[in-house]
Amino acid sequence: MYPLDAKCYRLLYEVGSGVSAVVYKAVCLPPMDSSVVAIKSIDLERSRANLDDVRREAKAMALLSHPNVLRAHCSFTVDRHLWVVMPFMAAGSLQSIISSSFPDGLPESSIAVVLREILHALSYLHGQGHIHRDIKAGNILVDSDGSVKLADFGVSASIYESHPSSSVSLYMSSSSSSFFNDMAGTPYWMAPEVIHSHMGYGIKADIWSFGITALELAHGRPPLSHLPLSKSLMMKITNRLRLEEHGRDSTGGGNCKNKKKFSKAFKDMVAACLCRDPSKRPSADKLLRHPFFKNCKSTDYFVKNVLQAVPVVEERCKEPRVADCNGNDRDGSTSPLVKSRRVSGWNFNEDVFELDPVYPVESDDKCVRFGGEEPIDQPTAHPHSHVVDDDKSGNEADEKENHRRHHNHSRAEEKEVAKKAGEAPLSVLKQTLVPNLVSLLSSLDLQRGMVMDVLSHCGCKDGQQESLREQQLWGYVRSMQQTVDDLKLQLLREMKVNAELQERLGPLNRKMNEETGGHTGS
Amino acid sequence: MKGLFKSKPRTPADIVRHTRELLIYVDLNSNSRDTKREEKMAELCKNIRELKSVLYGNSESEPVAEACAQLTQEFFRENTLRLLIVCLPKLNLEARKDATQVVANLQRQQVHSRLIASDYLEANKDLLDLLISGYEDMDIALHYGAMLRECIRHQSIARYVLESEHMKKFFDYIQLPNFDIASDASATFKELLTRHKSTVAEFLARNYDWFFTEFNSRLLSSPNYITRRQAIKLLGDMLLDRSNSAVMIRYVSSKDNLMILMNLLRESSKNIQIEAFHVFKLFAANQNKPLEITSILVTNKDKLLRFLKDFKIDKEDEQFEADKAQVVKEIQALKKENTS
Repeated sequence: MYPLDAKCYRLLYEVGSGVSAVVYKAVCLPPMDSSVVAIKSIDLERSRANLDDVRREAKAMALLSHPNVLRAHCSFTVDRHLWVVMPFMAAGSLQSIISSSFPDGLPESSIAVVLREILHALSYLHGQGHIHRDIKAGNILVDSDGSVKLADFGVSASIYESHPSSSVSLYMSSSSSSFFNDMAGTPYWMAPEVIHSHMGYGIKADIWSFGITALELAHGRPPLSHLPLSKSLMMKITNRLRLEEHGRDSTGGGNCKNKKKFSKAFKDMVAACLCRDPSKRPSADKLLRHPFFKNCKSTDYFVKNVLQAVPVVEERCKEPRVADCNGNDRDGSTSPLVKSRRVSGWNFNEDVFELDPVYPVESDDKCVRFGGEEPIDQPTAHPHSHVVDDDKSGNEADEKENHRRHHNHSRAEEKEVAKKAGEAPLSVLKQTLVPNLVSLLSSLDLQRGMVMDVLSHCGCKDGQQESLREQQLWGYVRSMQQTVDDLKLQLLREMKVNAELQERLGPLNRKMNEETGGHTGS
Repeated sequence: MKGLFKSKPRTPADIVRHTRELLIYVDLNSNSRDTKREEKMAELCKNIRELKSVLYGNSESEPVAEACAQLTQEFFRENTLRLLIVCLPKLNLEARKDATQVVANLQRQQVHSRLIASDYLEANKDLLDLLISGYEDMDIALHYGAMLRECIRHQSIARYVLESEHMKKFFDYIQLPNFDIASDASATFKELLTRHKSTVAEFLARNYDWFFTEFNSRLLSSPNYITRRQAIKLLGDMLLDRSNSAVMIRYVSSKDNLMILMNLLRESSKNIQIEAFHVFKLFAANQNKPLEITSILVTNKDKLLRFLKDFKIDKEDEQFEADKAQVVKEIQALKKENTS
């Protein structure tokens, strides 16, 4: 029994902090057993979650009992803070382990060990009618003996903070309400049906996040995390993400040396989790029977091969910018800015792209493949300046002409690129696409202007010049607003196109490699 | 129907009867620790889980209305609910959770378009006393608490609890040091005071004096931040409900109440300030302010206006701004009355 009084604990040092929560390593003072605990102190005043949510989560956490699920010893309020007393997991979160010692990901045999433990946790949770809704390396805690626990069920203030607009309840309360309409979780790990929030979602959303987590452990970061948040979200919503195809792709042609990095069983397991149709994703129980876990090592293996290479959690927590100690999600996309800063430290031009999702275009005949590899970090800067420039230049007829030319030109270019797959760097595509869009915009503007003219001429017949002029002026104002809106829209589309292009680069490059491999062979 | 039960030879009613027999056995042999009891216990847990899967469905099938109705009817035909509640402390954690979900679900099951759970509880009101006393036992508090909240979905049952002596105990329960239990109790307290409008209005009218004395002194003036925050929110919910307008008028005519609210406005917690404002505005908007209210407002007029001028909330809220403008107007108008 742990005491419900702050006086009975001594806080040793901070092991993690978020916007409204801090996690401390602490000891329970004598006459209690002076055991070491982790205390998460959540600032209830700053946390945007309403108290009902906090209550539900605390309750869920108190009633769960499984070796792979982190259970709170107790919780009580200390003035404006809620203290949640938990077991101290000495090795910290997997995310923290990866970022301190395995930036390129963990070896596959070690991944299998932790994933199996997490599947046990998921199997238990799902059997209880619970959905975790935020499976990720940052929420998987490891103790020095290699025991693995899934953490952060809701009383996680950092999660509340990351989506202030939605009422986030991470953890559902009973199987009678296994569908949600609120957004919850951390975007990169989120399943499409969670993002399509109107559809509601069930336990299979956790399986998706589990698959993404597998990739995160393998690569050191979740897929798509090189993109700003909104884009990653948008891509999932707008694209037909068919990873089963991807799975076939990557297992089919085994020529490339990159592809030897992961076993077929692993790829197959991940691809099954990332099936777009939730009903086709395997359950946690079924996953446990997957060949990938067949010769899975014990947690001792994980201790020897991973934990011994990792500095103790205290050391990691002293370093600046080390995210995520003890399950406290500080990197968790509190803002895209933070995210990109964290991500920019990694190397993108690597074979690690291999397992990233592939976005095939809708119809196969249109399936243009692009080559070249120059990931763009700030694709938004460019179109913006173009737009401004073109807005200034007033020669509309020219612009229209330009637009047509650009259009044809870019089409030709696309074909060319497709032919020479691999030779045209993405920047070329960008150069053609951006002006193309910009001129499209100006042509729209021109047409709008013409319509406005026609309208004003028609109006003049009535002879009420004064009020007409006013109306005209208002019309212009409105059209200006419209233009601004259109520009925004175009910008978004442009961003999307860029993102798509980037996604297509991966497989194309592979294809190119195969081709060149074939050439040299022949 | 035949096909449905092919794999399960036992009908839902059979499962209930078997569960009841096991409960009786476990209840009578509570102290023996022999293997026979262990076996019966394991069997009981299995049966409770089966009840749950009939009511909630499982990964293979959705619940079947006919099966649910059969189960419910058999369950309430005899004292199964009482046995289950009484034996709950003897069950293991998983079985307790299953039992809680079964009891919760049964409250909503209709048999011949009647909620027979409600009839049963009305005839067995002492069970509610038992459930409420669960807040004093950490081990079972969350299970009994969840069952209790489902039971007070029935208006007559909520009325019984409201009018019982238990209402006074909630003022203690919601300030228990254990956060899980305290917040469960306050969820139940809130449910009791907001769910059934007419019953709540009746209760507040009849128990006005002791209730608001307790509410003001023990909750709104509590040294505990979370107690104050939850209480002021609940007060706003109650007073702003149309069905409680008589109670509201009475509340906003009291000088003592106004003083408490004005103190809450001065809190450093923004959340408390905002909730306090939603109650304070009722004092200001009251068109028949008693003299003692007017006099406090006039005395503090400058301070109040200055406070309101700086009082902003983080996100844009038109309703809040409109309310604030109205309160400012009311307070400014008080000046004219006073000087003329």
